[in-house]
Amino acid sequence: MHRHGLWILFVVVAGVTDGATASVAAQETAVATREAVIEQAQIEKSETLHPYVPTRTEALFNRAEDILVNGVPRWHPFFESAYYGGGFTFGVGYAHHVSSYNMLDVRGSYTVLGYKRIEAELTAPRLFHRRGSLSLLGGWREATQAAFYGFGMGTALDNRADFDFRQPYGSATLTLRPTRRLLLLRGSAEVSQWSQRPAEGSDFPSVESKYTPATLPGLGTTTTYLHSQGTVGFDWRTSPGYSRRGGFYGVTLHDYADKDERFGFRQVDYEAIQDVPILREAWVISLRAIARTTYAKSDQQVPFFLLPYVGSGSTMRGFTSHRFRDQNGLTLQGEWRIMANRFMDTAVFYDTGKVAAQRADLDLHGMKSDYGFGVRFHGPFTTPLRVEVARSPEGARLVVATSPIF
Amino acid sequence: MSRSSFASPVLRAARLMLVVGALTVCARAVSTTSPHFYPDDPIEREPESQDASKAQPYFIGSMYEMTTNLFVTAGYKPSGTRAQNINTIDEVPNSSWFTNRIGTASVTVDEIARGPNRGAPPDPSHWILTREKTSGAHPGFTARDAKGETWFLEFDPPYFPEGATGAVEVATKIFWALGYNQVETFLTTFDPRRATFDERATIRRPSGARTPFTNDDLNAVLEQVAKRPDGTYRVVAGRLLPGKILGGFQYDGTRPDDPNDVVPHEHRRELRALRVFGAWTNLTDLKASNTLDTLVTDHDRTVVKHYLQDVGSTFGMCNDLYEWDLSYEHFIQGDTTRRRLLSFGFALSPWQTVHYVEYPSIGKFEGDVFDPRAWRPQTPTTAYMELRDDDAFWAARRVAAFSDELIRAAVHTGEFSDAAAEKYLGDVLIKRRNKVVSAYLPAVNPIVNPRLDRSGRLSFENAATKTGAATGTAVYHASWFRFDNATGETEPVSETQSATTTIEPPPDLATSAGGFVAVDVSIENAAYPAWRRPVRSHFRRETAGWRLVGLSHLPERLPSAPDLHASTR
Repeated sequence: MHRHGLWILFVVVAGVTDGATASVAAQETAVATREAVIEQAQIEKSETLHPYVPTRTEALFNRAEDILVNGVPRWHPFFESAYYGGGFTFGVGYAHHVSSYNMLDVRGSYTVLGYKRIEAELTAPRLFHRRGSLSLLGGWREATQAAFYGFGMGTALDNRADFDFRQPYGSATLTLRPTRRLLLLRGSAEVSQWSQRPAEGSDFPSVESKYTPATLPGLGTTTTYLHSQGTVGFDWRTSPGYSRRGGFYGVTLHDYADKDERFGFRQVDYEAIQDVPILREAWVISLRAIARTTYAKSDQQVPFFLLPYVGSGSTMRGFTSHRFRDQNGLTLQGEWRIMANRFMDTAVFYDTGKVAAQRADLDLHGMKSDYGFGVRFHGPFTTPLRVEVARSPEGARLVVATSPIF
Repeated sequence: MSRSSFASPVLRAARLMLVVGALTVCARAVSTTSPHFYPDDPIEREPESQDASKAQPYFIGSMYEMTTNLFVTAGYKPSGTRAQNINTIDEVPNSSWFTNRIGTASVTVDEIARGPNRGAPPDPSHWILTREKTSGAHPGFTARDAKGETWFLEFDPPYFPEGATGAVEVATKIFWALGYNQVETFLTTFDPRRATFDERATIRRPSGARTPFTNDDLNAVLEQVAKRPDGTYRVVAGRLLPGKILGGFQYDGTRPDDPNDVVPHEHRRELRALRVFGAWTNLTDLKASNTLDTLVTDHDRTVVKHYLQDVGSTFGMCNDLYEWDLSYEHFIQGDTTRRRLLSFGFALSPWQTVHYVEYPSIGKFEGDVFDPRAWRPQTPTTAYMELRDDDAFWAARRVAAFSDELIRAAVHTGEFSDAAAEKYLGDVLIKRRNKVVSAYLPAVNPIVNPRLDRSGRLSFENAATKTGAATGTAVYHASWFRFDNATGETEPVSETQSATTTIEPPPDLATSAGGFVAVDVSIENAAYPAWRRPVRSHFRRETAGWRLVGLSHLPERLPSAPDLHASTR
């Protein structure tokens, strides 16, 4: 409040309100009417008029609002790491609209364990009268100490061996919603090269010290893939980023074509998500099942680093990243989400899952489980921060993520 | 606008100075010969003496406002001070903010049905789109009608067909009758087959560039709104306001560029009273971007006129079909957040169990569980926090002045195709009116309209019993004083009492022209202890008889800020 504002307040109190506060100003200026008292205050103010000046905080908020509501920030944080298990991720991106809606985003991230990602993505979100979107993505990433514990569910933590991989990649993804709602079709083609190398900077032994190419398919190889995939799904959630009702049911078919025909395979992902609101959405029971099955092509193998896994901040949260790997994987998750207010939920969750060499073994026997508690800060359509503590027989883990669990 | 950020040390100092200033003035008033009442008291219009043509548009960010209101204003300690724009008889004078209508003068069925509308409705035979709609929850456009006049069009979302447009129309009539400046609005039709684009029409893209409005932009809006079977769309059209648009007003502080804006907005009674009117109509979205200041010429002077421009967030209309907690909690509220966190949601909130009658055109709006004191807008405002019981009493009298017939006339302007929905909305407004009246009229000594006849006989009305908001046997006690207008001193004369609303004067009451008397009237009614606090009236003897010049239901400053936030649930 400015100095003149104080004077105005002073005069107004004296003049405008009940007669019990007879006006000093009135006496001093010899005004004889109530109107004159008020006019005197207005005259005083008229001598000190100035345009509205927002505070520094208000200006910052206004800038943020302008970015969020009206456009994309040029510089923005980027928290997507190169690979699960890299630890906390720092990153930054620079986005630039190349046309009214199409945007080029160049970004990079670095994790505390030295995982690196750098990529550029061109997105065209309004194709086919807003029924389709296209993403063209190209980049490079490296995970220096990705974990491998062996095949199946019987591995011990002590079995851990680490590996490094580097991967340049380029992809095109077209997403269609022919009916605008419900039906989702997505197709993608990616060319990438996976170079598996000895781990760097890890406290654990590197994979080549414990395995051979005969015992670990893909060990020490460089494989170039043409990875194509297609998804058919039904999605009636309010938003993939945050939803309190609705569901998603989809199937994704992958084809990994190795130009050297050594490590080609196909994969089918089945995913079902259902949000069940209770007590007018004060509670939400969120359920998710995801199964991944692989099919090695004739005389080819699935490389160990692309095997389905369970264990990560979005699958089994109480286990380390990629804790269990095998030819097939199944994860079942349930959450009881409790609304604290419009921008915050808490959740009690339970995850269970397994991997198996045979699809027939992808049943409910021998599954590993965890449970935990979390807090999510969200908007109507996004979950920018998720903090969870999960506990499994192998210990407790803290999960900090910038995306919803599913 | 000089933002009254009460959290700032500067403003704390300002408030302290205000209080000290007020006390100083009071003390000096007793010791000097300045008049207590001026000859023109009570004023009927707040003067706007200065030219405001230098006022400039500015932007009030919704994010900043919401964050401030949720995290700072919510902790604001009300000053407990009386509204500062009222006159000496506890009423709000007319101003560029407010015009006394219902409760002061009679409002007829025809008048409320017309509301603020003065000009002709739009001609919807051809719309020319000129710009996108940039504010408000529901999709729309800016467009010119076939007569070339500019309108702001707003559609219904598919889950509330007729709802959003009907709410704007009905609420506009109600808030106009309550005294607020309202935009002229009409329900009309948008037929995309009869719509074209102005050659200069543009729309702001995510890139920040403005590029020409296209059919795809039109379709993007129409895909999100309720469509009629004949391919047309029901819209509510708001007429472009005259004058220069300055942007919204805030619910605290004053505009630094408007010389006539000298009362901090949180101390304007009509803005405080939106807590009561908002509860009645469920006006949940109290924010600056739903208000509008314009620069207009009035009696050869340029002044700022203040509008409640968007009152469509009423009757349960909201951004989503599932905003169950709306009107029961702020977006973020400490006590309910803590309760749900600690109980894992087992401690149910009222909104989780309240029963709503479902009509597509009516939102979540009911009158059985509704508690006016427990009602919450999306975010609190400083004016909302400053509401005192005398402000609420003033507001409740206006709500009480809405007869069933007037309410149903206002609702009828919503042109709901389902007669049952129209009846339901009217029924709920009547129920909620009765609850508002019952909550706030008995909360203070409800003496109103005191008058002395030529013989000095005092008569008045009991607003609470007159409206049926209170019952029981009452005894009215009057303490009579001679009042020295020069010094403010009072001299007790006598005390009289009555079981009716007419009390005989003491025999030795002053009667000379220019003389003043003060009368304190308290009420003894076992059910309402608050009525023992006397209402003080001041009368001036004039040639034609006694004239009421002063009336106060509560002291200038309450010893402790009222806890109007206490939920009765």
